[in-house]
Amino acid sequence: MKNSDQSYQKRRLATSYVTTIISITMVLFMLGLLGMLVLHAKNLSDYVKENIGFSIIIKEGVKEADILELQKKLDKEEYVKTTEYITRERAAREFSEELGEDFVGFLGYNPLLPSIELRLHASYANPDSIRLIEERLIAYPGVKEVDYHKPLVDEINQNVERISLVILGISLILLIIAIALINNTIRLSVYSKRFLIRSMQLVGGTQKFIQKPFLAKAIVNGFFSSIIAIGLLLLVLYFATNEMPELLDFQDLELFGILFALVIFLGIMISWISTYFAIRKYIRMKTDSLYS
Amino acid sequence: MPGDLIIILDKVSVYQNENLILANVSLTISRSEFAYLIGRTGTGKSSLMKTLYAELPVRTGTAGVAGFDLRKIRRHEIPFLRRKLGIVFQDFQLLMDRTINENLQFVMHATGWKDSILMTKRLQEVLAKVGLQTKGNKMPHQLSGGEQQRVAIARALVNDPEIILADEPTGNLDPESSEGIISLLMDISKTGRAVLMATHNYAMFEKYPARTLKCEYGKVIPMD
Repeated sequence: MKNSDQSYQKRRLATSYVTTIISITMVLFMLGLLGMLVLHAKNLSDYVKENIGFSIIIKEGVKEADILELQKKLDKEEYVKTTEYITRERAAREFSEELGEDFVGFLGYNPLLPSIELRLHASYANPDSIRLIEERLIAYPGVKEVDYHKPLVDEINQNVERISLVILGISLILLIIAIALINNTIRLSVYSKRFLIRSMQLVGGTQKFIQKPFLAKAIVNGFFSSIIAIGLLLLVLYFATNEMPELLDFQDLELFGILFALVIFLGIMISWISTYFAIRKYIRMKTDSLYS
Repeated sequence: MPGDLIIILDKVSVYQNENLILANVSLTISRSEFAYLIGRTGTGKSSLMKTLYAELPVRTGTAGVAGFDLRKIRRHEIPFLRRKLGIVFQDFQLLMDRTINENLQFVMHATGWKDSILMTKRLQEVLAKVGLQTKGNKMPHQLSGGEQQRVAIARALVNDPEIILADEPTGNLDPESSEGIISLLMDISKTGRAVLMATHNYAMFEKYPARTLKCEYGKVIPMD
C-alpha cells in the first residue's frame, strides 16, 4: 500500500514535468522549423535562380568545333554555373517530342539552330547583371541572340526579397510567442508549488537554497525539451531531403549545428530564466497574497 | 541585547495588513524560560508569533529576537533568524511532496548539515523524541493530524534552536501525547533554550505551571 501510494505520487509529479517538457518541446520545434526555413530560404532562392533558363542561339553555319570552343570559353566565365551544348538534331528531337509531331519530316528540313544552354550562379541572377551578361554574350563571334524570360527574372528577384522579409517577421513574432508560452507554462508549474515554497521559507531556507533544485530541474527540462525538438527537426529534415535532395549540401551541416546549438541554448535559457523569476516572485510575495 | 534576554519587545504594535491586532506589546523572555501564551482565538497569539519570526513586520517600538533587530531586519537576513528559532506552526507547514525524513533533511541541508551519518543519527533522535521513529518513510498526507503535528515539532527541534516558538503544538493531540510534548518542551527550556508556547489547553498549566502571558483586548498582559 505504502509503495503503491508513493509510486503514484512520483508518477503524478512526473506527469507534471512531462507536460512542461512537451510544451517547451513544441515551441522549440516551431522555432527550429522556422530557423530551418530561414536557412533554406537562401538555398531555395538560389535553386530557383540557378534554374533560370538562358539560351545562347548560335548563328547558322558555325562549325561545331567553334561552338565547342565557345562553350569552353563560357565555362571559364565566373558568372556561369553550367553550360550545355544542344545540337540542331537534339533541339529538333526535343521540339518534336514537345509538339508530338515530326515537323522535320513535314518541313523536309531542320529549321532549328544549335544553342548553348546556360545556368548562372545565383548571385548574378538579377536583372542588372543579366543585362551586362547579355551584352557580353552577344559580343562573342558566332552568337546570334541570347534568349531568356525577362519578366520571370524580375519576378523571382522581387518575390525572394518579399518572402525573406515575411519569414524574418514571422520568426520574430514566433520567438516572442515562444518565450511568452514557455514562461507561462513554467509560471503555472511554479504557482502550483507556491505553498511548498512558502513552507521552505518558514523553516529558514534562503532564496538561493530554495531555488536551487527548481533551477536544476528547469535546466534539465529545457535540455530534454531541446533534444526532443531537435530529434523532431531531424525527422522533418530527413523527409524533406527525401523529397528534395538539393535541400541539403555539405556546407549546410555547420549551419544546422549552429541552429541546433541555438535551440538547446534557447531551451535552457528560457526555462531557467522563467523559473528564476517565477520563484523569486513567490518568495517575495506576502503570505496573504498567495491565497488570492 | 542584555545578557540572558533572548526576546525583547518594547512598545511593539502588531499589524495584520492595516489592522492593528496588538498595541504596545512589551515583553521579555530569557534563556531557560518557558512561557505560555494564552488567549481566545482571534486575540493575536499567532500574529505575535508571526512577528517574532519576521513574517509580520514590526513598524513601531523596538524588537529584538536572538540578536536580530526586527525593525531593521532585511529580507535576506530573515532565513538566518528563522534558523535560530524552532518554529512549530499551527498549520504544520510540512513539505507535502516528500517523506518525513526528507522534510527534516530539507531543514538540515538548508542549515548546512553535510555529514549524512550525523544527519541520519540526529533525524532518528528527534523522531524518537516525538514517538515517530517508525514513520520516517511516510508521506505527510499518510499521517494523522496529530502525527503531522509531531513531525512539525521534531523539525523544530532538529537544529537545537535557541528559541522554540510553538503555536498550539498540542492542538491535534490526545491528552497523553500533549503531556509528553509539553514535558519535552519544558525539558528543552531547562537546557538554556527559551520556549514560548501558544495554547488553549488550560488543563496543562495546572499540571505544568509556568509563566503565562495573555492576549486580550489588543494587549498582552502577564498573568500570575
